[in-house]
This record gives sequence, structure tokens and C-alpha cells, in this order.
Amino acid sequence: MATTTAAVTLTSDLLSAPMSISATTTCMKAGTTADGLDQMEYGYVDIASGTAYDIIGNTPTASKASKLYVKNHSTDETYYVSVVLDAQAIGKLYGGDWMFIPADFHDGNADIEITATGGTNKICYALFHEGTTLVAS
Amino acid sequence: MATTTVTITLSSTDLLSDELALSTTATLTKPGTSTGVEYTTGLSRKKINATEKGSSATTIYTADDFAAIPYLYLKNTNVTVGNKIFIYDDSTSGDPTWLQLDAGDWGFIPMHGDKTLRAYAPNGSDPILEFMVIGTDQ
Repeated sequence: MATTTAAVTLTSDLLSAPMSISATTTCMKAGTTADGLDQMEYGYVDIASGTAYDIIGNTPTASKASKLYVKNHSTDETYYVSVVLDAQAIGKLYGGDWMFIPADFHDGNADIEITATGGTNKICYALFHEGTTLVAS
Repeated sequence: MATTTVTITLSSTDLLSDELALSTTATLTKPGTSTGVEYTTGLSRKKINATEKGSSATTIYTADDFAAIPYLYLKNTNVTVGNKIFIYDDSTSGDPTWLQLDAGDWGFIPMHGDKTLRAYAPNGSDPILEFMVIGTDQ
């Protein structure tokens, strides 16, 4: 089985005492602690401003485990992208921001759609999953 | 000015034929600026008792409590696989589900901030959710 880990560390001085939070998860298939997610899609794309594009069109199997990572690599801090999961706007990533979620792909049409604003945004994305519904050509 | 950073590391030695090692850091700033965010709810820890969507589900973020964009961190601290916590949008018709956090799962997302989010645990295992919002108060 494949073993993929995702770790996060959040640090801040905005409180009167330093704050540091860490978490690590191993990306497992649904319902098991013995079998890791063994498939992934990965991409690095330029997305022109104004039009919505699907970055994940092959819908992960509903009720299975999926982990979605998206980063906006734009260096202009005024650029941003809106991330839409199954027609619901869930994330808004300005230049430099990233997101990582165990997404709920509960629907056969639950694609991931991105709309860029400000200019051409550079987007890196990865989807770790245990099976998708491939789109027939 | 406060400095808040969040780093993700994705790694695997056997998912691909080559090693996967991705690490990146974001500095949390007010939208469109390089000024650091200044407010947070602090880290909260709540038992998720509700087993379905509705008024008994735990509110983890109230729409427009923060100016766009609030950053949301979540972790299901439960250790038994299958004891999931579902996060759904309580502001939109149909209460669409956004995330499903299985035991040990965490998530981090910069949000639009205009939706109320609630949590429930469908199998009644009362898992504990840790969560925090960081952003700009309004």
C-alpha cells in the first residue's frame, strides 16, 4: 500500500503568547487504517482571469476518501482564485495561499472548478483519491 | 503587525515511482495586501453530538463574522476510523456538505466567509472537533 502523509504547522504571534499548532494525517482509503490512498492527479496550470475552468473533471467516487490540495502560486497578492466544489464556492485563495481538505465528493457531478480574478493565476493542485469516474472520450 | 504562517508538507516514498515531497508556507494576510491578519477565535475544542444536519448541529463559523477572507483550520481528534465529522453550509438551500473529516483528518481553507458552517457526526460517536478561525474581524 502507498503511504502518503499530510502535515500542517501553524504558528503566530498575534496572541499574547506564541501559538503553534501541528497536525499530521496519513491519507487512508475510507473505512480502513491499513490501506492508503494509492491514486493521485497533479497539475500546475495558468488560469486566465474571468472564466471558470474544471481542474478536476474526473469525479472521485462518492463516499470514498479524497484529499484535495490547491495552491495559488501567483506572486501578485491582489490576484485570487475562487474554488468551487460541486457548484458550492468553498475557497478563495489569494496569491500565496493554499488549502487542503478532505473533500466531500458525495455527488457524481462533484467536480472542482476554479475562476481566476485579477490576471492569469498560477495554480498547483493535487487530488489524492481511491478511484474516479473517468470521462469517456 | 502580527505574523501568522501555515505550512503544509505532503510526502510519500511509495505513492509514485519517485519520492513525493511538497512543502509550502503561506503567510496569512488581509486580502490583497501584505498586512498580517490580526484576529482569531482561538483554538476551540467541541464534542460533536448531533447526528444529522439541523439546529442541534454545532456551529463552527457564523456567516460574515469575519471579513473576507477568514482562514479555517479543523481537526477531527477522534482515533477510530469511521467516526467522521461532516461540515456543511447552513446558509445555502439544501445544506450542501463541504468536508468529511474521518478520524485524525485535518483541513485548512481560506474561505469566502459569507456562509455559516455547522458540524455533525452521523454515527453518534461524539467525536471531538478542534477548530480555529483567523482573519479580520468586522
